[in-house]
Amino acid sequence: MSPGPTPPPADRRRGWGLDIALVLWPSFLAACGASLLFFAAVDPVLLRDAGPQLFAGLERDAGYALGFAFFWAIGAVASALTVYLIRTARVDEGRTAPPGAS
Amino acid sequence: MNATKLTPLPTPELPGGFYVAAEKIYPREVQGRFARLRQVAVVLLLGLFYGVAWLQWDGHQALLFDLPARKFHIFSLTLWPQDFLYLALLLIIAALSLFFFTALGGRLWCGYACPQTVWTELFVWIEQWTEGTRSQRMKLDRAPWSAHKLLRKGSKQILWLALAAYTGFTFVGYFTPIRALGSAMAALSLGAWPTFWIFLYSLATYGNAGFLREQVCKYMCPYARFQSAMFDNDTLIISYDEARGEPRGARPRGTVARSRGLGDCIACTMCVQVCPTGIDIRRGLQYECIACGACIDACDDVMDKMGSARGLIRYTTENAMHGRRTRILRPRMLVYATLLTAVSTALVYLLIVRTPLILDVIRDRNALYREAHGDRIENAYTLKIINLDDKPHDYRLAASGMNELELVLPTGLIAVPPGSVNTIAARLEAPRELAGGVHRITLTLAAEDAPRIAVRETTRFIGPSP
Repeated sequence: MSPGPTPPPADRRRGWGLDIALVLWPSFLAACGASLLFFAAVDPVLLRDAGPQLFAGLERDAGYALGFAFFWAIGAVASALTVYLIRTARVDEGRTAPPGAS
Repeated sequence: MNATKLTPLPTPELPGGFYVAAEKIYPREVQGRFARLRQVAVVLLLGLFYGVAWLQWDGHQALLFDLPARKFHIFSLTLWPQDFLYLALLLIIAALSLFFFTALGGRLWCGYACPQTVWTELFVWIEQWTEGTRSQRMKLDRAPWSAHKLLRKGSKQILWLALAAYTGFTFVGYFTPIRALGSAMAALSLGAWPTFWIFLYSLATYGNAGFLREQVCKYMCPYARFQSAMFDNDTLIISYDEARGEPRGARPRGTVARSRGLGDCIACTMCVQVCPTGIDIRRGLQYECIACGACIDACDDVMDKMGSARGLIRYTTENAMHGRRTRILRPRMLVYATLLTAVSTALVYLLIVRTPLILDVIRDRNALYREAHGDRIENAYTLKIINLDDKPHDYRLAASGMNELELVLPTGLIAVPPGSVNTIAARLEAPRELAGGVHRITLTLAAEDAPRIAVRETTRFIGPSP
């Protein structure tokens, strides 16, 4: 069915593409939930009116977007740490060894 | 599973082990009961999605989650951020329904209702219309670029992009009034944020339904991974009847399979070719199976042609497959059903008794009481009146709980525009001889034009110690 040579059986523990997807996708889902809960309780213009100077001139829809980006970024940091800790852990069966261990 | 020996597939195995994702899947077109059912679902669900956005109700968009104004219009109901409870209950009901229907009928959601499936189906229709059947599409992909290929591929992309753009526009139209959005777009005066969101959702539609397709189900969807937790041996699943089908093998039409020591499976691989996620259902239940039923339709068709009974691949339960009785009423179902009924009843009840009015009473903290002229004692309060209705109302306030209590307001009736807060100062007065001690006071606020809209709050009236 597929023309050309069969690609070599790749180890899916390697590859940046999957790592990036594993960082961005779950954090995106978490950011959706967090935004829903947070903005149900907090009106973004409150941040402008009662918050620090940082939010001066913030419009409501810009506030939603900013909040979503913030939650996404926080989630991405958590996901990235999780992926990093899994990738760098010493695992039996010699599947992944910590750097310099072999 | 049982010990029937499986003959190796004559179809090309998906190469590359873990990198199945790189292999493009060309689902074969299929006709039959389940294909028709999905067509009905696609037309119905997408019809609702594209249609309801334009529906008007009482002078406003019938379904509008107006984030810029922070209020949700759901037909005649208007919900404010204070009404978050209803949304939370609705989400719980959605989750419980998913559990209930998964335990009962397997992945009905995946096969017929999930937006991923529904839009992918629509995109595949376009693909079939512009690029032809499975074999034509595979041939086209292998062929060198030519005017013909450019025309086929180009028209597919144009139709996909147009559909994706309209989907993005409709989606944003549920959050920003769609008619205003449409005219702003026609006048090329669309704001930066709506433009950004329309672009983003168009891209998501195009990417998910055009390119990612089954990879969303296989690699991105959390439900696909945990749905098996709702499964038991009485859950409807799509299953290949191994006992009947094996050993599989090709044979001329009209052969009595058993006379050659064969089962009913003729190893035509139709079930594999039609599968949108590219699995072989004959290997048993796999989490990639979205229960779309395409393999059932394909196999039934083959069985008809071979003169065998239908149902070599069929909707069945693990128990039925092994000759045991299938129970619908089982503890799991009862628990899901009870929870679902309880939460739904609570939501309906709360919506019925919901009063679109909030009264906040704050006692003046500066003084316990004041002595007014005429040997009277007065207490001061700040009232916050929030009109959650989508109409303006005039409210009348009354106080009770003490003899000869008098309520003093700046105006007789308190007018509050829809969705607004009116903060007013109020005083309560009583003669000194009756005012001693602490009294419990009830304040009743009711709309003049709609007595049903009424709330009651309690506060305290404090006088000099007797």
